[in-house]
Amino acid sequence: MKNARPSKLFTAFLELYCRRSLFESIIGDLEEQFEEDVNTFSVTKAKRRYIWNVIRFFRPGIIKPIIKTQKLNQYDMFKNYFKIAWRSLTKYKMYSAIKIGGFSIGIAAFLLILLFVKDELSYDKHYDQGDRIFRVINVHNDPSNFGRGSNFPAQIGQALRDNFPELEKVGRLISSDWFNAGNNQFRAEDNLQSNYEEGFAYADQDLLEILEIEMVYGDQKSALSKPNSMVISKRKADKYFPDQDPVGQTIILNEEESEPILIGGVMENFPTNSHLQFDFFITLTGEEFWPGEQTNWCCWNYSPYIRITQGSNPKELEEKLLLIKDNYIVKNAIESGSSNVDNIKKYFSFYLQPVANIYLESEGIGDDFSHGDIKLVWLFVAIAIFILLLACINFINLSTAKSSNRAKEIGLRKVIGSFRSNLIQQFLTESILYSAISVTLGIGLAILFLPYFNEVSDKSLVLPFAVWWVGPSLIVFILIIGLIAGVYPAFYLSAFKPIDVLRGSKSKGSKSSKLRNVMVVFQFTTSIVLIVGAMMVYRQMEYILNKDLGFDKDQVIMLQGANTLGNKLSTFKNELLKLPEVQSAALSNYLPVEGTKRDGNTFYKEGRDKIDKDVSAQCWKVDKDYVKTMGMKILEGRGFSDRASDSSAIIINQTMAKKLNLENPIGERIKNWESWNIIGVVEDFHFSTIKYNIRPLSLVLGNEGSIIAIKVDTKDMAASLTSITQTWDVFMPNQPVRYSFLDEAYARMYEDVQRTANLFTIFAFLAIIVACLGLFGLSAFLTEQRSKEISIRKVLGASFQVIFQMLTFDFLKMIVISIILAIPIGWYLMTSWLADFEYRTDISWDVFAIAGIIVVLIALFTVSFESIKASIVNPVKGLKSD
Amino acid sequence: MSKTYLGEFEELILTMVLVLKDEAYGNVIVKAIKDHQHREVNLSAVHVTLYRLEDKGYVKSNMGGATNERGGRRKRYFQVTNAGLSVIQTIKESRTKLWDLIPQLQFNS
Repeated sequence: MKNARPSKLFTAFLELYCRRSLFESIIGDLEEQFEEDVNTFSVTKAKRRYIWNVIRFFRPGIIKPIIKTQKLNQYDMFKNYFKIAWRSLTKYKMYSAIKIGGFSIGIAAFLLILLFVKDELSYDKHYDQGDRIFRVINVHNDPSNFGRGSNFPAQIGQALRDNFPELEKVGRLISSDWFNAGNNQFRAEDNLQSNYEEGFAYADQDLLEILEIEMVYGDQKSALSKPNSMVISKRKADKYFPDQDPVGQTIILNEEESEPILIGGVMENFPTNSHLQFDFFITLTGEEFWPGEQTNWCCWNYSPYIRITQGSNPKELEEKLLLIKDNYIVKNAIESGSSNVDNIKKYFSFYLQPVANIYLESEGIGDDFSHGDIKLVWLFVAIAIFILLLACINFINLSTAKSSNRAKEIGLRKVIGSFRSNLIQQFLTESILYSAISVTLGIGLAILFLPYFNEVSDKSLVLPFAVWWVGPSLIVFILIIGLIAGVYPAFYLSAFKPIDVLRGSKSKGSKSSKLRNVMVVFQFTTSIVLIVGAMMVYRQMEYILNKDLGFDKDQVIMLQGANTLGNKLSTFKNELLKLPEVQSAALSNYLPVEGTKRDGNTFYKEGRDKIDKDVSAQCWKVDKDYVKTMGMKILEGRGFSDRASDSSAIIINQTMAKKLNLENPIGERIKNWESWNIIGVVEDFHFSTIKYNIRPLSLVLGNEGSIIAIKVDTKDMAASLTSITQTWDVFMPNQPVRYSFLDEAYARMYEDVQRTANLFTIFAFLAIIVACLGLFGLSAFLTEQRSKEISIRKVLGASFQVIFQMLTFDFLKMIVISIILAIPIGWYLMTSWLADFEYRTDISWDVFAIAGIIVVLIALFTVSFESIKASIVNPVKGLKSD
Repeated sequence: MSKTYLGEFEELILTMVLVLKDEAYGNVIVKAIKDHQHREVNLSAVHVTLYRLEDKGYVKSNMGGATNERGGRRKRYFQVTNAGLSVIQTIKESRTKLWDLIPQLQFNS
């Protein structure tokens, strides 16, 4: 027979409002009444009466007080928690040190990387109208030959202005080493001494307004509007015209006294997080580099920046820009008889690059700015999170492992009356305490290592203490970290049953070691991947530095400013050659390292200009000793000589020969706008970063240049430099000698690779430290656990080796699994990184083997501390306590 | 002699508890009042009055007596304290004294 029950809803209602102390007897009475009523009346009536009674009970005297007096005691509980946490911390100093140490390292790494990422992401975000400022990029959509570029012909500015009302302003920039862009000899008119300065670029007047450049002196709207004027940066103004307004002064560049330039204004220095880092803008107003240059669509040297009107859609504009392609580019190509017309029609399109993306997302565009790589940024964020995770895992592992130490306390607390929630609160409080200490230490470590990190990452980062949100966000951070690391141990520890604990039987430690082992494997896999990464990057760097480049970069001195010698040049060169260490010297502006002049031309076989596809190639003006000085190899034909006919002779590289489809290039004639006679083929040499393929290049004779490349053969470089300096001073007493080394300039091209290598190494190192700390703690603990077992084994006759093996074998198993896991991950990551480089080193097995061996050795070393101690200890000690 | 005065219902409940000696708790009191006084009182009123009397110190309570009909819950038993006893005495005396002063009210035997 089913028993009738009164309304559950109202029972719950009663339980909700009734005072705790009265509840039991009241509900008992109500139920007794209900049972009687069921017998006296009917079930329905009994239920009704019950409900009525519950409602009647809702009166003062029965209802709970609103102010819960219990909560007032929480403060005392927390005081207790902190006290106990502190005692536990100081009692197990080693474990606490490991936990806190690992955490601090993780947090310090996290903070530093955060600063780095924040800085990288902050480039070019400071524009007021940033969402309307774009850079125009041309895109070559040929799937077999995809390319993007930032340069356009001169007339692009006018073409854009005329055809598109959506463009508020258009300004062109020439940043590459071309004519007076790049570096120059600079002096005020009334000075005698010229100084070498870098950071020159050509700019339209409108560019100042588009880029919102603030002016210290002069007017942003007109500083560059007069022909032959320039704007200099504040720091250069302070250097050359301290404490005065230099507007109106005359400047002479490269001793060209016939072409003076007026200063039209002084601009604020570019902030460090701008992709533009120029000190001098020379105006393009009225500038024409050779007759007809401004309307000729042959040469692509200008980079257009635009500002669109409010509300315009950049995507639509990109489509509309194809008008330019048809009306100007294609038209021009047809007129000049280029054979690329079909290619252009099919593959050419435009892309409007938002200014905020220029620094990080210009992969493959090939402009001359230094860039960060968005991929690297995300990679570092991932690494930071991983290292922090490793530290959290350490914390979790050690807390759960040595839980037997707290078992008695937990059991007792439960017996006295703690709810599980109280215990969870207690352990979360503990982990937040650890987190607070670690964060403080971590910040200290970060401050300590910030200067070193700045050096490695080539930035000037600062910890933002002045900002108002530092305090609160730190507290939130501490809480989050404490919670993440503490949640699992809190739940694990609070689940102990008091009876198991107090009975003394449970040594809760070896159980649930599966999760712990998984975490250890995770830690070591991460570490191995990082080590492999670091090794590969270093190897690539070595490869880059030692690869056969096609020219000899060692022991080559680049002497700058040779153009100021004027007609004393050849005499100077002869004097140099008289020095015993000097093997050879050559004059040229064009060298195979970045930062020297480049000149892109279009070539075609003579007479076939409308038939074949034309070939874009560099055309370098060198002197006849260039090939010998640079150690380049002539494969076919000959080098330059003193023959008169060599003034129209040209030497091409292998790639150019291939592109021109010349089986026997010697004697053939090719044309850019002059005709040339091919006299030789030089072996391909790298003249830009080896991320890209070697492109076509040609050499012609020219007697201009500002760099003398001197090839020396000496064991005492300092002495050779002194002799060269002395020679220089004889000719140019007013100008200090300025030189640099070719191999250093070459290495500087790969600064970003070097930086990546260094950063990777640091992080691999940190990750290993954190992982080993964890391993050490774990092994110490497990050894302690098994001390009884070890003592008994020793008594029964186990030797030192057997014990040692027993203790370390388990760990070695985990390491081996880590290695196996790390191999495919490392392989994939490395392959995708190296894919950026056209010329790269191979990924070979030995990298993984070495990384694996390193990790095994380190892990063995860590574990053996405790194992050896355990193997040596007197067995009596282990058995005494029972 | 206490200065506080008992309400009518409180006096009724207090008396009932005395009557029921050791077995006084919520339901029983309700039933006893129904039986002896033919008066329906609500369980909640009885409970609240008992707690008030306890606060005044005239009754004391203890827990005990779980049965199945109550779903295993214990009862709260009430007993009269000495203070309560004396207050009842006082009431009875003062009431009798007062009634004696009424001329017409004669008890017909």
